[in-house]
Amino acid sequence: MASTLPGAGSRPEQTLALNMRLLAHHELQGFGGIGEGMGMQITRDQRRVLWLAHESAPKNFTAVDVTDPRSPKVVVQTELPHAKVRSNSLDIVGDTMIVAYQTREVGMKPAGFDIFDIGTPEAPRLVSHFDASGPHSRGVHAVWFVDGEFVHMAGGAADFTPTHPADDQFYRIVDVRNPSRPVEAGRWWYPGTRVGDSAPPPQRMEPKFDLGFRAHNTNVFPERPDRAYIGYIDGGAVILDIADKANPKLVTIWRYSPPFNGFCHTVLPLFDRGLLIVSDECVRDDGGDWPKLVRVVDARMETNLVPIATFPLAPYNTFAHRGGRSGAHNLHENLPVPASWRSDRIILGTFFNQGVRAYDISDPYQPREAAYFVPGAPKMSPAGAVQLNDVYVDDRRIVYTVDRFIGGLYILEMTI
Amino acid sequence: MQAGSLGAGADPLASRLPVTVITGFLGSGKTTLLSRLLRHPDMNRAAVIINEFGEVGIDHELVEASSEQMTLLSNGCLCCTVRTDLQETLRELFVKRRSGEVIDFDRVFLETSGLADPAPVLHSLASDGLLGAQYRLNGVVTLVDAVNGMGSLDTMPEAAKQAALADRLVVTKTDIADAAVIEALEARLRAMNPYALISRAVDGMLDPDTLREITPASVKAMTQDPNRWLAGAGAELAPGERASYLGQRLARKNGVHDAAIHSFCLWFDAPFTWDALTASLQVLTALRGPDLLRVKGIVNVEGEPGPVVIHGVQHIFHPPMKLERWHDADRRSRIVFIVRNIPRASIESLFGAVGTLGASTGGP
Repeated sequence: MASTLPGAGSRPEQTLALNMRLLAHHELQGFGGIGEGMGMQITRDQRRVLWLAHESAPKNFTAVDVTDPRSPKVVVQTELPHAKVRSNSLDIVGDTMIVAYQTREVGMKPAGFDIFDIGTPEAPRLVSHFDASGPHSRGVHAVWFVDGEFVHMAGGAADFTPTHPADDQFYRIVDVRNPSRPVEAGRWWYPGTRVGDSAPPPQRMEPKFDLGFRAHNTNVFPERPDRAYIGYIDGGAVILDIADKANPKLVTIWRYSPPFNGFCHTVLPLFDRGLLIVSDECVRDDGGDWPKLVRVVDARMETNLVPIATFPLAPYNTFAHRGGRSGAHNLHENLPVPASWRSDRIILGTFFNQGVRAYDISDPYQPREAAYFVPGAPKMSPAGAVQLNDVYVDDRRIVYTVDRFIGGLYILEMTI
Repeated sequence: MQAGSLGAGADPLASRLPVTVITGFLGSGKTTLLSRLLRHPDMNRAAVIINEFGEVGIDHELVEASSEQMTLLSNGCLCCTVRTDLQETLRELFVKRRSGEVIDFDRVFLETSGLADPAPVLHSLASDGLLGAQYRLNGVVTLVDAVNGMGSLDTMPEAAKQAALADRLVVTKTDIADAAVIEALEARLRAMNPYALISRAVDGMLDPDTLREITPASVKAMTQDPNRWLAGAGAELAPGERASYLGQRLARKNGVHDAAIHSFCLWFDAPFTWDALTASLQVLTALRGPDLLRVKGIVNVEGEPGPVVIHGVQHIFHPPMKLERWHDADRRSRIVFIVRNIPRASIESLFGAVGTLGASTGGP
């Protein structure tokens, strides 16, 4: 079988699937560009509402009733105050939702996060705003909120002057136990990234891959409330001791770029197995930063992280030039909330034009591709191919994944 | 936390593409059946691996696209030929599927050549780790020609083996055979392999749906009804000689002598230890592997919450599959044997001896 079948070559409009079935597709009323904020609320009347943060203006967030995953219905869709702000990230505990705001330029507002009461999903009520704006701040890029008490986030601050303009968003902890008056509880930044630090600024990546020493995902789990697991972009994977939130202490930094091409995005701990799953974010089109990987890291000794495997890559020839970005991005993060599926054997992630993919890591040394779904290019897709950006798996094992630009929400069933 | 269990892993059945092996002696009607199957509207997203395109005679108007070794039919069925070896063909098909070069087929039908012993194909699926990660055996479908089947079974050991290995037996050409001959043939097949479901097909007319889920499509489905997999025909699994006794009587009555190949179900009241089960199967395959045509069992193993499914063809066993729970109150182990020239009593005594050995050495 040396030759390929004429006409059946890999085309961006082609849908590819293994062990995943499309249950429904929703274009979100023509605003189908979603960022990396997905959270599920189980309402008091037992509806399941999926909240999605848009990737860019004009929309802020959209709530979709997915009680029947075959028949999703938009509950509410909200607007941003102006075109130079985006929400991108959100998280939910009970009826409380945190929504991030990041501005295009420093010094703009709103830059921080909002706290909403979503007890009535049709009419979200703003409770308060946490301001993270400043002369060197673009606000908040990503939030983590799973305990109802503290928001862990990647954000700037009015009093923070970075040594390099791309290093403006660091790790911040905000106490929201009184939701009408959120207050900062602690912070940590990469040594050398703040003016006045005794450490020298970190060695930057070569210019084409220099994306900054910023925090991205800042995950804290109830299994280890004294640890924060942070993807620190070009700084690599960072583990902090946050037993004293006011004074986070560095446990370890694992920096693997260079030689790799930077942008550490998520550090997902699998506590019972002594593993971390570390994902990159692909940020260049047309295979420009290939390979962007997901790594399995032995974390039994947290001060000596040892990579032991990478998730098998999708085929370069099929995807690198299929359109847009092609490589790792968000993982389903085993959120410790009732509506989230949790697995330390099956890990799902989005890979832009490679779709959503599930890997079986029962053998951590040999991760195996277990399922995937690559939607055909959405109508009028500016990238010419799908760009799946984020994924959420609910406790029914239903998979929700979103396109970065226009395709909206895809709801899938895993048959593995 | 009520959320899903952290340990949830992949389902070894549902996560692999099912392969249905279609076998049958020369002239048994495989080609006719395959030509029909290929054209069936329900065969969309099926990949069919055949020996020669020429044989099945695909009409040009049915062809959507084709290359030297592959043809995409207008109903969405992918048809390809084996040029190198089968393992290579299956591997390449999966790679092409993954890269979008062929349709994302969800099942595979595999034709073996008429003279072929299907056992090596089954061995490949069980023992080739790379292949086993992507594919699983759905079942063996053996075609038997109503006109010439008796003769083939009499004279060709391969034909008898094909019938003995089957999960589904399809008697073909029943429109041109004498009713008495068909009945005699079916009785003889039942005698050899009472656990396979027998159906009839005239002119290759067989609903592809009847070939679906010969093995349940997921561990969950298997857990609900493992006996259906063990004995698709609903043959008696009850202890005692009934199945084989009846079979032998029928065989004698019909004037044939297939006593060489026979089948029975052994029941075990006490649970096995892993050591005893493994040792018994090892001894059995070492001593009588070539004559152990097929072994399928649901076994109670100490310390396991549900039964363990075992499945072997001659000397090769699939990795045992653990079910989550028992489907009914009967916790006895039951193992179906389809064997050649092995008396039931010798297998019984072997299990007894190895079991005793396990006990006397004070196993865990």
